[in-house]
Amino acid sequence: MSMIRRILALDGVNVVCHFRDDGYLLEGYGLMARDDMARLAQFAHDYRRMAQGNADQLAMFTGMRGWTPPHGWVLRGVTQSVCSIGNLVCLVDNDEALLNEIMLELREVSHW
Amino acid sequence: MATLDELMQLPGAMAAFEFRGSGELLEQRIAYPERINESTLDLLAHMCAANMSIATMQARGWEKVTHMKGFYPIQEFTLVGFDWSVVVSGLDRERFKDRGKASLPPFTGVVLANEKADYEAAFATMEKPEPAP
Repeated sequence: MSMIRRILALDGVNVVCHFRDDGYLLEGYGLMARDDMARLAQFAHDYRRMAQGNADQLAMFTGMRGWTPPHGWVLRGVTQSVCSIGNLVCLVDNDEALLNEIMLELREVSHW
Repeated sequence: MATLDELMQLPGAMAAFEFRGSGELLEQRIAYPERINESTLDLLAHMCAANMSIATMQARGWEKVTHMKGFYPIQEFTLVGFDWSVVVSGLDRERFKDRGKASLPPFTGVVLANEKADYEAAFATMEKPEPAP
């Protein structure tokens, strides 16, 4: 069984995708069409690069250590959130998701 | 609306701050001034304002292209750095917009040490219902 399927088993996780360093979708599971999974992977890849750039600049301008390299990010909408660590991204339902657990699991699986 | 003092009660809280939509730092609380100072928070606030704007654009675009709902408007943005995380919220601003108010409250944010960070608690504090009038 793919390791990232473990994440789909967590409460509130509707979709999980694993993407390559150029944003190409490697594998994805959950309630979403394959085309949208590819879009999600590309979006997560782009956002990751942006977050990395922001963290680098924050560290450079302030001299504060501990921001870079960043592990990930969360965008929380009204009922849905997007969470990403490393080359993994998932869509979660805000009401059902245990976000701390999801972030820990994403972090663990991202090292595999 | 979560107060800065309430945000400072979160596990691992290093600093809490308020900032304008344009990024200017308005007010702050700092638990460890030897690690994080007002100048750093000011730049962090500008970074968070930029990210909220970009994420809001992306949520808008995502909903349009996928026909999925529930992303727009973005309520909170979190950057999980190597040792620190920052969580910022614009939920109070959205509540004011829903009520047709012309003047919006500031964004609120909190810097957390990753080893103690409780993201669920941070969101719960930032999203707590407003007191009845």
